[in-house]
Amino acid sequence: MGRKITQFAVNHPKWVVFLAVLATAISLVRVHTIRVDTDPENMLSEQESVRVFHNQTKREFALSDMIVLGVVNEKDPDGVFNPETLGKIYRITDGIKKIDGVVTADLMAPSTVDDILQAGLGSVRFQYLMERPPKDRDEALHIRDRAMANPLLKGTLVSEDGKALAIYVPIEKKSIAHRVSQQIRELIAAEPPGPEQYHITGLPVAEDTFGVEMFKQMAISAPLAGLIIFLLMLFFFRKLTLVISPMVVAMLTVIFTMGALISTGHTVHIMSSMIPIFLMPISVVDSVHILSVFFDRYQQYKDRKKTLHVVMRELFMPMLYTSLTTAAGFASLALTPIPPVQVFGLFVALGVGIAWIFTVTVVPAYILLFIPERKLENFGATAHGEEDEGHSPLARILVWGGRITREHAKLWLGLTGVVLAISAYGITRIQINDNPVKWFTKNHPIRVADRVLNAHFGGTYEAYLVLQPPASPETLRAALEPVRTFLSEETATAVDPEVRQVVGELQAKLAELEAKEAQADEPNPVRVVEALANELNRLYDTVPEDRTAVLDTLDILADGLEDQRTALHTFKSPEVLRWVEGLQKYLSSHQIVGKTNALTDVVKKVYMELLGGKPEALRIPDTPQAVAQTILSFQGSHDPEDVWHLVTPDFRKLNIWFQLKSGDNKDMEAVVREVERYFQENPPPVELSHAWAGLTYLNVVWQDKMVKGMLSSLLGSFAIVFVMMVFLFRSVLWGLLSMIPLSVTIALIYGLIGLVGKDYDMPVAVLSSLTLGMSVDFAIHYIERARELFRETGSWAKTAALMSMAPARAITRNAIVIAVGFLPLLLAPLVPYKTVGFFLATIMGVSGVATLVIMPAMIQVLRGPLFRKERRELEEKAAA
Amino acid sequence: MKRFAVAAALSLLVLPTLRAQALSVDEIVQKANLASYYAGDDGMARAEMVIYDKQGRTREREFTILRKDKEDGGEQFYYVYFHRPGDVRKTVFLVHKYLDRDDDRWLYLPALDLVKRIAASDKRTSFVGSHFFYEDVSGRSPADDTHTLKEETDRYYVLDNVPKDPSTVEFTHYLVWIDKTTFLPMKAEYYDGQGKVYRRMEVLEVKEIQGIPTVTKAKMSDLNTGGYTEMTFKKIEYNKGIPDRIFTERYLRKPPRKYIRRR
Repeated sequence: MGRKITQFAVNHPKWVVFLAVLATAISLVRVHTIRVDTDPENMLSEQESVRVFHNQTKREFALSDMIVLGVVNEKDPDGVFNPETLGKIYRITDGIKKIDGVVTADLMAPSTVDDILQAGLGSVRFQYLMERPPKDRDEALHIRDRAMANPLLKGTLVSEDGKALAIYVPIEKKSIAHRVSQQIRELIAAEPPGPEQYHITGLPVAEDTFGVEMFKQMAISAPLAGLIIFLLMLFFFRKLTLVISPMVVAMLTVIFTMGALISTGHTVHIMSSMIPIFLMPISVVDSVHILSVFFDRYQQYKDRKKTLHVVMRELFMPMLYTSLTTAAGFASLALTPIPPVQVFGLFVALGVGIAWIFTVTVVPAYILLFIPERKLENFGATAHGEEDEGHSPLARILVWGGRITREHAKLWLGLTGVVLAISAYGITRIQINDNPVKWFTKNHPIRVADRVLNAHFGGTYEAYLVLQPPASPETLRAALEPVRTFLSEETATAVDPEVRQVVGELQAKLAELEAKEAQADEPNPVRVVEALANELNRLYDTVPEDRTAVLDTLDILADGLEDQRTALHTFKSPEVLRWVEGLQKYLSSHQIVGKTNALTDVVKKVYMELLGGKPEALRIPDTPQAVAQTILSFQGSHDPEDVWHLVTPDFRKLNIWFQLKSGDNKDMEAVVREVERYFQENPPPVELSHAWAGLTYLNVVWQDKMVKGMLSSLLGSFAIVFVMMVFLFRSVLWGLLSMIPLSVTIALIYGLIGLVGKDYDMPVAVLSSLTLGMSVDFAIHYIERARELFRETGSWAKTAALMSMAPARAITRNAIVIAVGFLPLLLAPLVPYKTVGFFLATIMGVSGVATLVIMPAMIQVLRGPLFRKERRELEEKAAA
Repeated sequence: MKRFAVAAALSLLVLPTLRAQALSVDEIVQKANLASYYAGDDGMARAEMVIYDKQGRTREREFTILRKDKEDGGEQFYYVYFHRPGDVRKTVFLVHKYLDRDDDRWLYLPALDLVKRIAASDKRTSFVGSHFFYEDVSGRSPADDTHTLKEETDRYYVLDNVPKDPSTVEFTHYLVWIDKTTFLPMKAEYYDGQGKVYRRMEVLEVKEIQGIPTVTKAKMSDLNTGGYTEMTFKKIEYNKGIPDRIFTERYLRKPPRKYIRRR
């Protein structure tokens, strides 16, 4: 097959180039439909239960994603509480209200939040914390004192040291976070300069801004990497026209794959935007092998076609297999439960296949079309003389290295063992963790804002803990039992037949409503009682004024039903609220939890102020009615709806808003564990289920899926590659051998991650599949060449010596080209790009070295059984 | 003239049916004020309030409201007694409305056995968690705004009202549609800083009670949050001769049986 393909390419070079360009052009037909998606939430499928719950929670409690604007004044002795700073904050807030996409009703700023305060003579007053900018120092300090006295605001809106103030800007959707934050910056820029520092942060900004910067980076990083690879190849092969061909292959591959991705209707996500960066080295590798061998062989034949045939015969199978293994490594990502990762894996696999096709066709065609024979007169190894090549420092090191690895094979294998042991220790120390804010480098404004604001406030990362009594047909039945009892007691005592009839009607209605409610997703007894009360109301209108007996009964029933309803309002129960208070108190000792905000805090604060503001009255009142009346008083404020962020109107679901100081997944996980512990050690007074929502928590869930998914896909592709190797070499032993360098590479890389304390995050997880696919390549090339040379020489010593020349050089060139090519990524301002750059370089370096050291050493030790087949062939040939 | 809003329901229109010609803006404002907030010498009604949020979830409030005027267009008393929801039953609001100073407001919370004065410097806060403000219930003083006649249609005077002190309110101006025959404000729209309507009052039903055109159903919408409140008035009666003493602190704990019936 390889021969035919080469023949076609060599005989019809123009067609090959034409078809390749045509195919690439076709892939671009629908490229204008490009849809960009920078939302990490989409790492989880829309149907993922935690995401469904997150969205349901946001809807039920009318929660928006929030941008946090922090204003810090370290210069003024009064901090931000001076007339100038507060005036600026007042004007900026006014400006924010006018920004399109801001949920004005929920904007939290000094001039929009209500404060409840004592207004003398036993009265209380609801008033905006800052109705208008203060005129003098006294007014400014008064605002500070009131904010500090309000547990709902202290630590959330104002920092405890008074140096900083935060404005929480709710936005309609996350995808406008970057735009809104830019508009806020414009408002800030319009203010006169002063000692104030402004910081904007919050997960939505981090995530959306990352998306924006990511695309900028793509436009810089991938081409820059391409340029460096190009320059390095020029340095190695010294022929400009020749080294253009791998670049053409890489370009066509990247364009074709991205075109196909977009044209098939996939969104360009954080993951898929990395495809070019991954495809670039992969698609160059095979071309470099071709050029390498072409370079070494040309002077032998002095004919392009002939040389190409020789080159392709030698490389066709290894290239096919290296491509297949790389593709398999990436395709295995389809096994992860994360949609963008699946798309990423499949399209990189596709790209690898395309790169292979382009490499075996376009590179030979290119050489024939654009490089005339005469230009190659001074080209290649023998032109400079093998001695010349052989005396370059690189070549000398390789030859020397080849010799010592053979001569001290066991020592080298022992060293490898030590490296493996250290790596294993490193792997046990791996910290699985991620935080989108940390995708920015340390000095990025978002990181700085994150540090400053989390030092001043309760925390800029939010998570929501939702509590509710269990909701099933059975619990519905149990919850409605008292209502049934109440109604049957009324019939039992009634004498008047009309009264009995009215109660009978209600009983029937109750049964009907209950049966209907039992079908609901979350059967809710409050809904049943409310509907029953409405039915009762309707009955009032049917009873004539003079039927006092019936009307009296209706009155009793109405009051009774109201009491039943109150009893079903789980989160009006003082007992339950005090338990929630206990949970909050328990968690407040956790260093990551800056603050929790719940209905309890509102009730306590309002209750205290109603009772005259005495600190000892800062507690949950003693009856559900008292709780209800406290909340009713609170609702006489500017924003009575605020309370519905914390509890649903039926008081069956409670939302505890967590302000976390860190968005690290490991920290969120620790908080989750603490909550579990509290539930175990302090069971709630009534059965309550609990579940998490909020972006910080979502990140934990997808990370968890990612890590597990990556592990299973790594193991899966490891197995597939092994089978392919056994098949390729028709030998289990050679197959096993080929897996060793890559295993060492992977172990070393991940050991290193553990040892240096780098978090195992999204990019690191994805790199595992690249490692596997790329590092097996060198082993395949090495083994293929080694077996071929053994067949020619019949001696491992001779084979090994030859291996340390041209083949070792090809591997080394490849490793250096790609490793160095990706170093510019280290300059990127986004950490995942740095990570990818660093690890690509390391992977190439380590797997190159691992192949060149471990392979000869292993073969040296196992040469007996390994070459048994080749020796038999040679004997048969000799006998013939 | 948001003052013309809902509590209008309770009001008794004493006005003769004037030919509405050549009325000055001030006259229109005066008549509308009287029509919506000063109907009869006193009045009582049973109010049902349904508060809808954006998701269509509802909450109910049911209360009896008593009103007595000291003089037309002058000081007033309001007494609001809660029946539903059950856990705020017997809660009472008492308001003494003045023209020349802040109102006096009391709140009686039975479960806390507590009478509390609520300082009422800002009347644009929610009335018991609904989308109506205190000011919608007891009336915004005509003196707080500058009024201009924007348009006169067959049925309505459309007045534009600009606050004299913009810092005390959240709107920049509002339009009111005043019925030319009843002088009841039938619609009001409030504009925010961007010139967008963000709040709307609509009268959904008017009935003649004891010869007085009376709002029996009104709706207040918050266009920003998508929530709204519907308020329905039943059992409206005017000129009951409710004594002044009912509107004192003493009656907070002991609701007057005669006027606050069970249903």
